[in-house]
Amino acid sequence: MTALANPSAFEAAIEAAYEARSKTNERQAAAFDRFAKLGLPHRRVEGWKWSDVNAVLRKDAPGEVETPEIEPSPFAALEPLEFRIVNGRIDLPKEDAPEGLRYGVMDPVGTIDELENHPIATLNVAMTRKALGIEVLDGVDFERPILIRHINGGAGFSFAQSMLRIADNAKVQIIETYEGEGAGFYSHLCHMVVRDGAEFRRAVLNETSAENVTHAICAAKLDEKAKFYQTGLSTGGRLSRHETHVHFWAPGSSASMNSASLLSGERHADFTSEALFRAPDCAAAQLHKGVAKDRARNVFQGKFNVLRAAQKTDAKMTANALLLSDGAEANHKPELEIYADDVECAHGSTVGALDDDALFYLRQRGLDEASARALLVEAFVGEVTENIEDEGLRAIFAARVSDWLEKA
Amino acid sequence: MLKIEDLHVAVGNENGDGNEILKGLSLEVPKGEVHAIMGPNGSGKSTLSYTVAGRDGYEATSGDVLLDGQSVMGLDPDERAAKGLFLSFQHPMEIPGVQTMNFIRTALNAQRKARGEGEVSAADFIRLIREKAKLVGLDDAKLKRQFNVGFSGGEKKRMEMLQMAMFEPRFAIMDETDSGLDIDALKMVGAVVNELRGPDRGFLVITHYQRLLDYIKPDAVHVLAGGRIVKSGGPELAVELEKSGYDQFIEAA
Repeated sequence: MTALANPSAFEAAIEAAYEARSKTNERQAAAFDRFAKLGLPHRRVEGWKWSDVNAVLRKDAPGEVETPEIEPSPFAALEPLEFRIVNGRIDLPKEDAPEGLRYGVMDPVGTIDELENHPIATLNVAMTRKALGIEVLDGVDFERPILIRHINGGAGFSFAQSMLRIADNAKVQIIETYEGEGAGFYSHLCHMVVRDGAEFRRAVLNETSAENVTHAICAAKLDEKAKFYQTGLSTGGRLSRHETHVHFWAPGSSASMNSASLLSGERHADFTSEALFRAPDCAAAQLHKGVAKDRARNVFQGKFNVLRAAQKTDAKMTANALLLSDGAEANHKPELEIYADDVECAHGSTVGALDDDALFYLRQRGLDEASARALLVEAFVGEVTENIEDEGLRAIFAARVSDWLEKA
Repeated sequence: MLKIEDLHVAVGNENGDGNEILKGLSLEVPKGEVHAIMGPNGSGKSTLSYTVAGRDGYEATSGDVLLDGQSVMGLDPDERAAKGLFLSFQHPMEIPGVQTMNFIRTALNAQRKARGEGEVSAADFIRLIREKAKLVGLDDAKLKRQFNVGFSGGEKKRMEMLQMAMFEPRFAIMDETDSGLDIDALKMVGAVVNELRGPDRGFLVITHYQRLLDYIKPDAVHVLAGGRIVKSGGPELAVELEKSGYDQFIEAA
């Protein structure tokens, strides 16, 4: 086994936890070796400049994992089929699997090639013992939303994986919530395949504590005419990073990836994504809206990578940040890498403050300053949440935004 | 009703030592009257409306503005709005993401709440806004849009008039509401003002041209030039200005 060079207290604790395990297979051993060479990512590593995980975790040795209090989910009103991953342990729903769906706890399968040198993905592969598997069967329009709650407590670390397969022409809405309460570190790796003609909708709500560090990766492979719609909302944590890697493998597939960050205090949220276009006639639309006040930091990194075969790609990326305090920060990195010649790709990025003209207008109409500011922030973020197709789900996301505005 | 006393306003930098735009402006609009202010570009017309409405950066260096005998100078814009002061903007904003009906209802109820009045119910509100929308010539589809987004200049002015009709302000300042409007739209503005006109309400109509005054008969006309009122008279003054222009006053100021 390769040992980490100059490990931080946190890395040393992870190494000890890995060594203490009774059973590891070759794949996990190989993944740990790769992680040992890479270490936790830090600001000098490409893609981690603004989200220095090592700096955040290195100061203290991890504490203990604790059983978290489990509150009712804000999505309970939608009567979802509820899965929980509590400190990395998978709890399946207490009911029989509904028709059209298969699920269970399974052995993890490792990771896709593109993530082989991803420091946290490799660590996740080395550390995760069991994965949650969910499959929506051929042609099934699974109308009931599926809720996966990632709940963590204490100041330890935990790892989890999930594997989702949306079979040909199937349809499903999955909601994921990240609810870490303590000062722990949580890593989640999700692999998904969206088969021919299937439609997958993913809504992610990150409402972890201000001390929590969460890293989640969703790697999706889209087959022919597959559709992938994602909306993320994060109120950040000590550091929360949600990565989406979408690979367009076959012609005619499309994706939308929208995200919003609402950050106060010293919170940090990072939405990072890569869309890899390998086949012709695929489309992607991406919108990020970041709101930061106090000394919070909003990070957005988006990359469209269009390979030579991916002619007629139509891809658009927009990132807008609203800074409500002088100490708040926005870091955007939109990137296009294009090898095909017949494509339409565009990106744009803006950072600004609330518009004084609009504020005065609203106040002249009778809104006090706090209400006028809240209305403008809500409108700014609303462009992301209004893309959610299901009315009930959209309303809950909008309510989370109003909630944040009332508290922040 | 609205009394402006020796108002001095400097606009520019944060220290307040910018350019003095209003240089001792005094004006009184008694209850129930409509006064017009006419003046060339750069005479301080918009500065006057922003100062009276309480916009940040348009604080008076001296002088006072009184509504019904009480000074409004220390009040926030929303507090002035709740007291019944309405400004029809020369360049109304587009506010993406803000639903028009929701916003107007929120604003109306915020004003009512500040005055200690009860909220308007959703049903009453819808009935009222439909009726007023008809008066200003905005269809239902426009009300369902985001606020002013994609509206033409004329439609934005109709939206200003819709809000004026909804809020029924005690005193309204109309800052070049006529600019960019065709004859039908001018008639609409006249209809809204004439419907609201009453013994307890006042209007200050700021305009370049006499033509709006064909539809809103003012009780008095004032000429603003060089930051102060240089001449006041009856409606015939507007006609005279249209003929002979503002040059005489620019020199006088």
